[in-house]
Amino acid sequence: MADKKNKNVLSSIGKFFAEFAEAIVHGDIFVKLSLVWMGAGYAKRKQYIKAVLMTVLEIAVIAFTVSFAMKYVPKFGTLGTVKMEKVFNVSTMKSEINDYDNSFKILLFSLFSFVVWFAFAVVWIKNVVNAYRLQKLSEAGKHIATFREDLHSLVEERFHITLLTLPVLGVVIFTAIPILLLILVAFTNYDQQHMPPSALFTWTGLTNFINLFGGGGLTVTFGYAFVRVLGWTLVWAFFATLTTYIGGILLSLLLNSKKTRLTKMWRTLFIVTIAVPQFVSLLLVRNFFSNGGIVNTICASIGLTGFLRDIGLVSTSYIPFLSAPGWAHVMIILINIWIGVPYQMLIATGVLMNLPTDQLESARVDGAKPFQIFKSITMPYLLFVTGPTLVTDFVKNINNFNVIYLLTQDVYTTTNQAMANSQAKEVDLLVTWLFRLTQDYYNYKMASAIGIIVFIICSVFTLVAFNRMIKGDREGTYQ
Amino acid sequence: MKKKVLAAMLASLMAVSMTACGGSSSQENAAAPSDSAQSQAGTEANAASADGPIALTLWGAEEDQTLLGELVEGFKAAYPDQTFDIQIGVESESTAKDTILTDVEAAADVYAFASDQLNDLVKAGALLNLEEYADALTVAGKTLDDVKSANSAGSIEAATMDGSLYAFPRSGDNGYFLYYDSSVLSDEDVASWDNLLAAANKAGKKVGMTLASGWYNASFFYGAGFTTGLNDDQTTSIDWNKTSADGYTGVDVVKSMLNIAADPAFMAIADGDISNQLASGALVACVSGTWDSITAQEVFGDGYAATKLPTFTVGDKQVQQGSVAGFKFVGVNGYAENAGWAVLLADYISNQDSQQKFFEQRECGPTNVNLIDSDAVKANVAIAALAEQSAYSKTQLVGGKYWDPTQTFGELIAQGTLSADDDAAIQNALDTLVEGVTAPVE
Repeated sequence: MADKKNKNVLSSIGKFFAEFAEAIVHGDIFVKLSLVWMGAGYAKRKQYIKAVLMTVLEIAVIAFTVSFAMKYVPKFGTLGTVKMEKVFNVSTMKSEINDYDNSFKILLFSLFSFVVWFAFAVVWIKNVVNAYRLQKLSEAGKHIATFREDLHSLVEERFHITLLTLPVLGVVIFTAIPILLLILVAFTNYDQQHMPPSALFTWTGLTNFINLFGGGGLTVTFGYAFVRVLGWTLVWAFFATLTTYIGGILLSLLLNSKKTRLTKMWRTLFIVTIAVPQFVSLLLVRNFFSNGGIVNTICASIGLTGFLRDIGLVSTSYIPFLSAPGWAHVMIILINIWIGVPYQMLIATGVLMNLPTDQLESARVDGAKPFQIFKSITMPYLLFVTGPTLVTDFVKNINNFNVIYLLTQDVYTTTNQAMANSQAKEVDLLVTWLFRLTQDYYNYKMASAIGIIVFIICSVFTLVAFNRMIKGDREGTYQ
Repeated sequence: MKKKVLAAMLASLMAVSMTACGGSSSQENAAAPSDSAQSQAGTEANAASADGPIALTLWGAEEDQTLLGELVEGFKAAYPDQTFDIQIGVESESTAKDTILTDVEAAADVYAFASDQLNDLVKAGALLNLEEYADALTVAGKTLDDVKSANSAGSIEAATMDGSLYAFPRSGDNGYFLYYDSSVLSDEDVASWDNLLAAANKAGKKVGMTLASGWYNASFFYGAGFTTGLNDDQTTSIDWNKTSADGYTGVDVVKSMLNIAADPAFMAIADGDISNQLASGALVACVSGTWDSITAQEVFGDGYAATKLPTFTVGDKQVQQGSVAGFKFVGVNGYAENAGWAVLLADYISNQDSQQKFFEQRECGPTNVNLIDSDAVKANVAIAALAEQSAYSKTQLVGGKYWDPTQTFGELIAQGTLSADDDAAIQNALDTLVEGVTAPVE
């Protein structure tokens, strides 16, 4: 299926250029003139408003290129060479600053210019193709749409274009450009030593990725820490997803059961945990379970701490719920159940309510036991419907910053010196490690490199999982 | 009528941009940048033509806002010929670096920050080299040497990098010392860790200190003559795995720390948790700073007392525990537009009169030498103890790789993971620590 899509994309790109070539070869002088003056083709076919608009656009892009892009794009290859210098002028009481380069601005605005130019190139090619189409229409003596008719078509047969314009624009500006920027930063040395505007940064090729995978540049133990952090990230994502999923289903089955009384009250109570902002409840829970927290005080006074110490489970005077590896790992997953189950419960309740009753009825008539019904009808149906959310949940948990960071920051201190030497902890996910690497150490280049790796892991997993899930005719099973 | 024409034109512009490209909407993109280019040119022009009042922004801690407002009025009154437009914003000294380095050019012209951030701020160009801007002080009838001689040598040293002064010292209370309950502990008890812990054991109480932090646990190493430092390439130098200038080995110091940590009366407290533990009433003494003075007063009542840190036993000798000297500085942004006036403002809010006000209203320990010797300052228990400890304190200049390895090392000692009998394991842990701290900065 993926092959088919690829072919579609490739062939449409091919068609796009083939049309362009045909237009140039077979077009008349006005079509060829459109290559230089974009309004030419329209002017000839008496589409004057379009001609003016295309001309204005062309002038605007040229003005943009000359007055804006040319300040940054020529420096894109080096990301700037002039360092900032300043001299104090005591008569004005101001600093006199030279015309310095800002590597980050060069990178950002060059990228922006490239996007603008790419868009313009597409318009420019389309414009020539259009001019040729108009030429053919007029040669065939067919009607050429007036401006008013063109406008009209936008709210009729080409309404999708009108609708999609804004979202596409938003995606390009708010998603595509930042992601491209992040990818570019991974190939530079943008960090604390090279922080604009005072210092310049430059291209370093694949150095960051080589360092990430055992080149041994970043820290002596970076590879060691990376493998462990990645391992825990996957273990966490697996258990966090599985436990909340199963917990949510069990809870909703319980609430849906006819024997349960006061269902509405129970359901509301569980949903209250969603209503409280996560950071509030997580920070509270973190304080409850801290080394000197209330849970430890209770455990100490009822003798649980002493008992655990006697059997050798803890060596400290407190139970290290969130401050020792193992303990903290389990606690985090347990606390996450409490946080995550209500969401899954809501989803599962919705699905259970739509369970095809005829199947259940016939199963019951055939004498199936409740567990058999659950195993053979309810669960497969739930799995089928909620499968995609399971995949997204897994990916979301790989990047579950809140739970891990809020529960362990300032509480968990690693006693593994090799981890500490890489600024990592046993409980770090890739994203929390990434956050501390950038936030505390301004190591933007490595953060970008790890960011790309996380992105690749997540996208590969999602693609594989979705492809497997939607494969074949499983969709028909329940229809 | 006019509106209709405008609307029609806008509509037609949008429509054509869509019909013309027949399926692609990307033309809108091309129109956008010219707008942004124009607006950018506009802001530049505005900034350049600001010929009116002298605009300055000032950042300080939330609790200092009232005082800063008062000081700014005083500053304006000191220069009646000039009109100022001074905006005061809230930014805690402890987080100043993070906010400022996010966007140096948008940060305040004058801001307060904790001394350990100096190095990063200088490297990012977020602080003016005051030597280059010393001429501005002539407007106030001062020289930079006046500033240097007015403040304690330690504070000026901490504000200096590569021989240049980068900030005005404002207060010197960012350090730690020993709070204790004098109704339980005698002067002799608090003189050494051995006596302190023995007396606490007798009283059935605990002595608290944070070990899992490179800011606190360095005190033992500094006391024994070990050093840390910052190299030109931003890597940290550290010699804790060797033998110090005073002839102690790192292993000996760690053994001594392990003995203290293993004492039943000792309580290793997580960084930032001292106040809570103090308030719970379990402690009879603790290592902390002026920020806990109110809590300590409440808990110890009439017994409230503070003094320098105790000595600790290395081998058969008593070694005075060192500490980290921390200051609060006022700096001028390297990208301040009215740099000269910003320097004057920074000087004004850190001069002797202002420091006096900070002491009176905010209980900030001064760095001004005249104020340090004043009776009022000496009468303040916490600040007097800090002054006593300052003889043994060091300026901690370290890079970013220092903190995590030292935190973990402190935790290893706190949890007793290392054994005091196993010299080889201790040496090994120290070597790993040094390896992590001195790792190259990428």
